[in-house]
Amino acid sequence: MNLIELYIQEVTRRLTEKNREDIALELRSTIEDMLPEDYSDQNVKAVLSKLGNPAVLAGGYSDRPMHLIGPCYYDVYISLLKMILPIAIAISTIPLVVDSILSYNGDQVFLEVLLSFLGEGIWNVFSTGIQVFFWLTLVFALLERTDHGKITVPITAGFKEWTPDDLKDIPYIPKEKAISKMNVFGGLLWTAIWVTFYFNAARLLGIYEKGEHGLEFIAPTFNHEVLLSYWPIVVIVIGLEVALTIYKWITAQWTIRVAWLNAIFQIVSSIAIIVIFSDTNLLNPEFIEYLNKLFSFSFDLKSKIMLGVMIICVFFAALDTYQGFRKARIHSEKNNTVNRHM
Amino acid sequence: MDALLNSLTTELRRGTLTLAVLSQLQTPQYGYSLVQLLEKSGISIDQSTLYPLLRRLEKQELVTSSWDTSESRPRRYYVLSEYGIKIFHQLKKEWEKTSEELYNLLKGEE
Repeated sequence: MNLIELYIQEVTRRLTEKNREDIALELRSTIEDMLPEDYSDQNVKAVLSKLGNPAVLAGGYSDRPMHLIGPCYYDVYISLLKMILPIAIAISTIPLVVDSILSYNGDQVFLEVLLSFLGEGIWNVFSTGIQVFFWLTLVFALLERTDHGKITVPITAGFKEWTPDDLKDIPYIPKEKAISKMNVFGGLLWTAIWVTFYFNAARLLGIYEKGEHGLEFIAPTFNHEVLLSYWPIVVIVIGLEVALTIYKWITAQWTIRVAWLNAIFQIVSSIAIIVIFSDTNLLNPEFIEYLNKLFSFSFDLKSKIMLGVMIICVFFAALDTYQGFRKARIHSEKNNTVNRHM
Repeated sequence: MDALLNSLTTELRRGTLTLAVLSQLQTPQYGYSLVQLLEKSGISIDQSTLYPLLRRLEKQELVTSSWDTSESRPRRYYVLSEYGIKIFHQLKKEWEKTSEELYNLLKGEE
């Protein structure tokens, strides 16, 4: 085939079926118009280079956009991606955490379980991310190809044109006052982890020693039956913590009400810790014996540990409560700041 | 510097292209004759832009087209439709107004 036919084929194969023949005919006649009577390959090349890249020429004929997502949709696309990605990752990770701790049957070495969980977790985050990215991009690429030029200006998240009234919906939150999605997600993850450890303390928490088959579990820290007998208190703390985290997620910033709810939660959980750690039968005697042998303390180790845990927990609870109120007092105004400068 | 000037010039001219093409289609023209007409007036046009532009104008019903097979080579002729003539005159007025405004503006600069 000669160069002209090849060029025409390169253009028309990118066009829709019904236009192909007509445009091919016109292109051929145009190219022949441009050529002198007796033409050489050199002449043909000169003419074809004037017409330029066949892909660009075909793009000119085509109604379809030559981009995946254009400026009209780009901003909404990016905002939705930023909003959905963390939520999807959180939702898919939490069951994984709970499942991998619950499926731990004591035979495997804890560290290995942790590492395999980390591997699975990274893979899970990666594959969820790819899924969200793929489907959202697909939806927007289709939108871009089906709106047929009805939308000519960039649209907002409400899929409407921007108006100054949209500014009213934007709360002005100073960075320190805001409660980030990561914070909420971390909170839920923390709850899932400590709850699982509480109910499985007998085979998870304790002293590990290096043995023949890697790490070996020597003695649990707690007297499991005593620890579990406090379950009603623990369930109350769990309920409060989950409720508080969800409430933080909804308000997305520290308000006086969030600070008060946080204070109540901190007080309740401190009381729970004090009650549980006041029980002299809580710690496993084997555990204490092992530590005494290891460090040969001269004082009463058990009561020191109990008191230490209580003091540390109460201290951090007080600190967190104080921080909550401090952040809630940070001044936040809606739009007023903007007006004042104008 | 030169690349920037080039892209700015192209951008400046792009909008006037449709008007230039419409002005020459008051009499029937085929693709290459249109290129020659425009070039005679000093307007150089990227041919990969022109041919698709003609199709788009036809789709927008500003021009009509027909195949002429009486000569040795079949040629597709384009000519302004009635609607096209109306639009062309309005666009022309718009251009005259703009160029006058810009002319005054630029004169004031000197």
